[in-house]
Amino acid sequence: MEDEVKISARGVRVYYEDKQAIKNVDVKIQDKTVTAFIGPSGCGKSTFLRCLNRMNDTISICRVEGEILIDGQNIYHPDVDPVQLRAKVGMVFQKPNPFPKSIYDNVAYGPRIHGLFESKSDLDEIVKMALLRAALWEEVKDRLSEPGTGLSGGQQQRLCIARAIATRPEVLLMDEPCSALDPIATAQIEELIADLKENFCVVIVTHSMQQAARVSDKTAFFHLGDLVEYGDTEDLFVKPADPRTESYISGKIG
Amino acid sequence: MVEKHILSAFDEDIENIQSTLMKMGGLVEKSLFDAAEALVNSDVDLAKLVRENDQIIDDLEEEINSQTARLIALRSPTATDLRDALSFIKIASNLERIGDYGKNMAKRSLVMKPSSINEQGCRSLKRMTKEVISMMNNGLDAYIRKDVDLAESVILQDQDIDQHYNALFREFLTFMMENPKNITTCMHLHFIAKNIERIGDHVTSIAEQAVYVATGEYPLDDRPKIDTTGNTGGDTKGSS
Repeated sequence: MEDEVKISARGVRVYYEDKQAIKNVDVKIQDKTVTAFIGPSGCGKSTFLRCLNRMNDTISICRVEGEILIDGQNIYHPDVDPVQLRAKVGMVFQKPNPFPKSIYDNVAYGPRIHGLFESKSDLDEIVKMALLRAALWEEVKDRLSEPGTGLSGGQQQRLCIARAIATRPEVLLMDEPCSALDPIATAQIEELIADLKENFCVVIVTHSMQQAARVSDKTAFFHLGDLVEYGDTEDLFVKPADPRTESYISGKIG
Repeated sequence: MVEKHILSAFDEDIENIQSTLMKMGGLVEKSLFDAAEALVNSDVDLAKLVRENDQIIDDLEEEINSQTARLIALRSPTATDLRDALSFIKIASNLERIGDYGKNMAKRSLVMKPSSINEQGCRSLKRMTKEVISMMNNGLDAYIRKDVDLAESVILQDQDIDQHYNALFREFLTFMMENPKNITTCMHLHFIAKNIERIGDHVTSIAEQAVYVATGEYPLDDRPKIDTTGNTGGDTKGSS
């Protein structure tokens, strides 16, 4: 595991109008590791995840203070283009949301809008590599022109992961990527996450403590907008330092 | 347990295993007590009862193991719950071993011939047994109440048991040197003393589990080792 810090948040506070959703969070997220955010509904974990690629910009009442550095650069600096940022910081959502396009065009979408290829064969290669990395290639290589929406739920989610990694991002954010999937599809995504961390900094929000325990190297526990505890997943699940963490992971508070 | 699980069946599962464990502890205590009585009084019926009860103790260990396997499979315990689950299995195993030593003491009581040395030795062993029973009760109390201070005092108490064993070892050795006719009796007495000393080690392990469940760390193993009997092995001058 590399100790290189990829994302560094300092004094991050997030407000929805007057309501404070995140209270002064400082955290350093390491590159080439899987970091899980856990916590009860409304604790701010998804809000914080969405800060990492400025998805909250699209919510007019949302205000972010403090700074988030990716590779040392503050992503909230006025010069940073959020569209470029999101090519570097990809995201996968709770429900698979393939575009109503072919499997090929779904994956080629990002490289096309960002102009990341030289020729048709170059784009073909990018699409193939993304599908291979998303562990979907074998299942779809003979029907790339079929609509992405025709795939099963688990396949659709892997298609979305392929789409997210086709722009060669450095960070991959996943917001409950398995909550709509059955245990087999979930296991496939989890296996994929383990592979993806070879190349990416992966941050995953999950309601399943067992999933956090299975896939992550580091776990951050959020509660009422506070980052209560952040550390090695193993320590957090065997001997959490904060009684609030203990209560939450043992199912004693909601 | 101050804080309750949202899923009440989880609490019930843990409480059930804890109560099986305490039942097992109670039976083991009775078994040790009876074995020591049988030894002192050459009570054949009581010795037989100890051997019968040992089967119940063994069955309870199996029950605790399967209840804990079920808890792990169905509830995915974490943090203190996880440490609890691990400790159930270990403590059940410690108690089962202690029960075996009790059974062995009862078995030896049946074959030992009456003599003054036997009488004197058995009384010493009974005192030692009582000492280790009190230590075991404190260890189990510390475990159930997650009382780290009490657990640590139990761990220290093991030194007294070790000292008691060392003293008896020398005493039995002296009897054997005085008259070879004493050897059979003294060998039995010595094995019983050694077994009680081993019981102290299992109780120490229970107390260590208590600390682990309460804190997530095992206590530092810095207590002095005072089994000095190794120095006397084969060296008759050393024991005089």
